[in-house]
Amino acid sequence: MVDTATKTAGNAQRAGLFGTVASVLGLFFSGFSVHDYTAHLDRQLHGAHCSFIPGLTGVEAGANACTAAMYSPWSALFRGSYWGGIPIALFAFGSYAFFLAFSLYLLLAKGESSRPARLGFAAATAFPLVATVAMFTISLTQLGAFCKLCVGMYVSSVLLGIGGFFAFSAWREAGTTTAGKRAPGGTLIESRPQQFGGPDDNVATARDGAPATGTGGNPFPIVLASLVVLGIAAVLPAGVYAASLPDYRPYLGGCGKLVEKEEKHKALLVMPTTAGKRAATFFEDPLCPTCKGFHERLVSDGIYDRLTVQSSMFPLDSDCNWMIDRSLHPGACVLAKAIICGDKSSKARQVLEWAYDEQEDLTNLGKTNKDALRAKIKGRFPDIDSCIDSKETKQRLDQMLQFAVTNKIAVSTPQFFLGDSRVCDEDTDLGLKYTLTQIAPEVVP
Amino acid sequence: MSSKTPLFVGGGALGALVAFTSIFVASEVGAAKNRLAHPELAATAAPVAAIADHAEAPYCTPQFKQVLQRVLNACGLVGSESRRGCQPADVKTFASIDDNDFNALFTPLKDRGGIVLFDEAKDALDEPAKKLVRDLWEDRRGARYFFIVARASKTGTVENNRALSHKRANSVQFFLQEETKDPDLDKQVGMLWLGKEFAQLSKDTCEGWKTSRPGKNCTEEAVNRSAFASWVDCRL
Repeated sequence: MVDTATKTAGNAQRAGLFGTVASVLGLFFSGFSVHDYTAHLDRQLHGAHCSFIPGLTGVEAGANACTAAMYSPWSALFRGSYWGGIPIALFAFGSYAFFLAFSLYLLLAKGESSRPARLGFAAATAFPLVATVAMFTISLTQLGAFCKLCVGMYVSSVLLGIGGFFAFSAWREAGTTTAGKRAPGGTLIESRPQQFGGPDDNVATARDGAPATGTGGNPFPIVLASLVVLGIAAVLPAGVYAASLPDYRPYLGGCGKLVEKEEKHKALLVMPTTAGKRAATFFEDPLCPTCKGFHERLVSDGIYDRLTVQSSMFPLDSDCNWMIDRSLHPGACVLAKAIICGDKSSKARQVLEWAYDEQEDLTNLGKTNKDALRAKIKGRFPDIDSCIDSKETKQRLDQMLQFAVTNKIAVSTPQFFLGDSRVCDEDTDLGLKYTLTQIAPEVVP
Repeated sequence: MSSKTPLFVGGGALGALVAFTSIFVASEVGAAKNRLAHPELAATAAPVAAIADHAEAPYCTPQFKQVLQRVLNACGLVGSESRRGCQPADVKTFASIDDNDFNALFTPLKDRGGIVLFDEAKDALDEPAKKLVRDLWEDRRGARYFFIVARASKTGTVENNRALSHKRANSVQFFLQEETKDPDLDKQVGMLWLGKEFAQLSKDTCEGWKTSRPGKNCTEEAVNRSAFASWVDCRL
């Protein structure tokens, strides 16, 4: 019985140790994640600490797995109500604080920790584990990439889960030694009150020194209390965040207007959507990663199909665009022409979305082998190949670019106009749903 | 260590950590709020993108732009809507340069423009001329202005040739109006007619320029029975 008691105490302490390490790691990674997300509340451009050792490496600017995760619809809640929503990382941040405190208790109490508290700890660790499985699945199936800060949190939660397992073992093993606490003769000799922070009840012994067995008291009030405190700790930072957010309404709009809403030659592409409720004009480049991200965000949020979309190709490729002296996206002109050609058979959206889906490969081909790029387009859409080089297509692309000149838009993609009002770039990622809820609620599902 | 010590440490840590997370979040949001109100405090200012504009080709020298600006001002493209085009006297006045220098300004447009040739004393466009004008017009790219510079041959009176070159410029302009039905055509097309008085072309012009009658005998007389047409890729 002494061996069992030692093992139980050891498991309880291991629970504390794993929990402490996991919670410190979790606080560290979730803290950086919260910091990166919160930095964007100033509507400026920021990089992300996309690293397994954030703080020791520099901030990573531009698109990466962490920004992809950040801009995805799964990174925050209540995006329609708050600019940027309430980041999920906040709940993790608060939770790890709770687990660190609880783990310290288990660690310092050694074998003396309360038995119901161990069960409470074990039960609580199930929540980060479930959240981790869910977010891991989303990363794998929806984002196709793993943000390093997120992976840090996943690992922390798994370590917490291991701690929870040890805590559960300690709770169960203690049960086998304390149930009833009857002496061999059958006389009930001792039954200690079960209390959070009380001494370990598996040290009970029969008055005659014989081992005791029994079931102990009801652990569920303590388990329930643990979960309630976990909930409070998890929600509190989110509440503080929501309460501290600035009022963004004065910042929406004011980013320009279209002088001419319609292109006089009818050159713009009409993208088929299922339930257009509001006219929208896009200036986009098929090889622009931000355009791809923005398009996919609009589609996945169900917003795109609620717009009546006209699209003006704006390839940042000097082969056709006189406004730039150096091609940012070589090959974009050919793809823009392919999309224009697709319009003739009502396939413009199909070609555009194919270009976005294949963007990485097409970008590489555009830089290294334009013949191969052309062959890839032909392989996928053989019927539009001859149209790409036609004078008419070139002229239509020129007209789209002239449309940009007429409207004096910035040489930048994507640009999104609702009616004739430009949606500010700052409101096209984290703040998109909030902004649209404010200025065009009919397009938000 | 008292049996209650771990409980106190755990409870104290919980309070401290929850307070820490809340203060951390409030501080981060507060800093962002401050940067939002004072964008100049942001560590990295957003790069300012250029504004979409018309093309600016290397031939747009200051001298070329000066002539262009004067044409636009004097010939009805900018400001006054009461007149269309410039006649030789206007050109002489506003260009303030001699014939050769005037023609030299247009030399870099060799690959961009073309020369529509006319029959003697005629101003009608033949089919190849229409095709050339159409092709030139459709190849706009990023240009803002389309120029028509018409001339007449050296035979005949000054007045007749002035009138004839005016008609030739109009023929191109009217053809474009008919073809494009563009209501803004007047804001894009600048017309000059030079008669036989100013900036006559030399026979060298027959070499290297796109004409509506390629392969036909090109003399100095023939090349001055013409209307030069081109988009001009300059910003003003």
